Amino acid sequence: MLGLIGPNGAGKTTLFECLAGELPADAGEVLWQGRPLAAGHRKETLFYLPDQITPWAGQPVGRVLSFFSRLFGADPSRLSALAGTLGLSRFLSENVGELSKGERRRVLLALGLSVPREILLFDEPFDGLDLRQAREVEGVLRRAAAQGRTLFLSIHQLTDAARVCDRLVLLSAGRVAGEGTLSELRNRAGLEAGGLEEVFLALT
Amino acid sequence: MEGGELLASRAFWLYLLAVGPLVGQAFLHAASLYAEASGRGGGPAALAQGLSPLDGMLVPTFGAYDLAVTLLYPFVAIRLISEEKRNGAGKLLLQSPASIPLRLAVKLLALAAFSLIAWAAGLLALLLWAGAGGHLQLPELANLLLGHLLRFLLATGVALAAAAVCDGAASAAIVTLSFTLGTWALDFLAAGRGGWLERIAGLTPTAGLRVFEHGELRLSVAFAFLAASAGAIAFAAVWLASWVPVARRAVRGAAVVAATAVAIAGASRLKPGWDFSEDRRNSFSRADEAALSRITEPVTVTVNLAPEDPRLFDLERGVLGKLRRVLADLTVRRAARSRSGLFESGGYGEVWYQVGGRRAMVRSTIEAVVLEEIYRLANVPPPAAGGDPAYPGYPLRAGFEGALWIFYAAWPAAAALAFLWIRGRWRKRWDESGNQAS
Repeated sequence: MLGLIGPNGAGKTTLFECLAGELPADAGEVLWQGRPLAAGHRKETLFYLPDQITPWAGQPVGRVLSFFSRLFGADPSRLSALAGTLGLSRFLSENVGELSKGERRRVLLALGLSVPREILLFDEPFDGLDLRQAREVEGVLRRAAAQGRTLFLSIHQLTDAARVCDRLVLLSAGRVAGEGTLSELRNRAGLEAGGLEEVFLALT
Repeated sequence: MEGGELLASRAFWLYLLAVGPLVGQAFLHAASLYAEASGRGGGPAALAQGLSPLDGMLVPTFGAYDLAVTLLYPFVAIRLISEEKRNGAGKLLLQSPASIPLRLAVKLLALAAFSLIAWAAGLLALLLWAGAGGHLQLPELANLLLGHLLRFLLATGVALAAAAVCDGAASAAIVTLSFTLGTWALDFLAAGRGGWLERIAGLTPTAGLRVFEHGELRLSVAFAFLAASAGAIAFAAVWLASWVPVARRAVRGAAVVAATAVAIAGASRLKPGWDFSEDRRNSFSRADEAALSRITEPVTVTVNLAPEDPRLFDLERGVLGKLRRVLADLTVRRAARSRSGLFESGGYGEVWYQVGGRRAMVRSTIEAVVLEEIYRLANVPPPAAGGDPAYPGYPLRAGFEGALWIFYAAWPAAAALAFLWIRGRWRKRWDESGNQAS
């Protein structure tokens, strides 16, 4: 799991949208397994789950999940298992727009994780979740990573990022300020100890 | 999901709610006038030959759909894209295996399928009319419905294109209504001016629909509707490809507009047309048509009448319109230079007909007079008078006062109940599946 860390306005969402091929990039290219991925073909390899969206707000959760699995060719049993793990069964009949922020976040994560793509880009996957829910979601994400999928998570809460991610990319004002594991970043920042917050402040 | 989105949208239900009373009002008013003209209430009846259900009932009743499709329906179509942009569903769908053109096609199909519900009000009016003994002629009805279908397609294309370009539904609605106002202005400004401007104005949605309302199916108009609709949808597809830089999308969009303009210009040159009106108002008698079809030489008509001269209108609507459908090689030229003709001199009011190298001037706009001159110039013997059976006309004195409740009360109530029932049904369905899952 790779974490994209940066303050608000650092360019995390813009980077994700460029990577996913939803926004045109001024420069650079995306390589996958050594080969360039054209913007129009990235959806075959990666899936981007944006933050702050309420898709199909007027539709019941169950209908949205069912539609999404059919549209993306997701395994219905996987989606059903995900819905159970993320505790969605209780509000399948609720409209997406009527859910609380945390419930909506879990629905979105179920949608994102159900998509059969090798790389998943999740923008602020822990936003709106309480501590217990965040821990449950962390477990779900780890299981997805253990199944061989690459998760690229944009996180602005540094404590969450340090706990969840294997590697980190520090982004500041649209530029990469550092990249590596937490200990590699510590070395680069010249800090023997200290958390991600200190490392981030030292490198940006 | 598009169907679900439509059923979940209040805009769609409000549209449905409004269509019933709108169509009902148009039908009841038209039927009442028709009954009066037929002699209901002891008044003098008009000549039966003048009572055509196409003019008296079908066109006004279905005219309500033109109003609805122009002013209400675009909000329903716009919402399908604008809402996806607003709530983020569009970003997810962009990554699905379904291509943008396919997604737009699905939206179009969903809009068409669900708009059929709105057409139930028109069907109801037809059933009431037929049930009361009103006459309906299938070909002219089908032709009129085809015109409205094409109008619907174009409205959908324009609404989808506007929604694709604009960030919000309100901006898209302004763009769509501006397009409509623009075509109205063009229709008004170009009327009777002649040349390319009038030819383009003849292909605006309002003018195009007027052809179908007159019982005629012109290939040029039908193709122009289709080309404009396809162009608008292609434009929407170009703009929804958000990964393409804006400048490149603008170039591609301009290319689509140019290609559409070429297609429409090409369509405007298509000559074939069919008269589906039962009274053959767009045609000469069959004998005259047979005689005119024997003219192989080019025919040129030079009209020295100003655009605002009512004689020009008579000539266009009558003789010239019919000649265009029959003659293989007809050129019409406008010689008047002013709009009103008040200060024109030197041959104003003259209409010159030229067949091969022979010319003759006729001031009359009366069909028989003009045809006689054309036959003489073409050396074609005029056909014997008579032959076609006269249009009998279809008076109907029936009143439809009881139908008031159907359109003004039952229809809105049914729409409201259907809205509540569908929402309740969805919840129940997922409640049950949720209980099963847990």
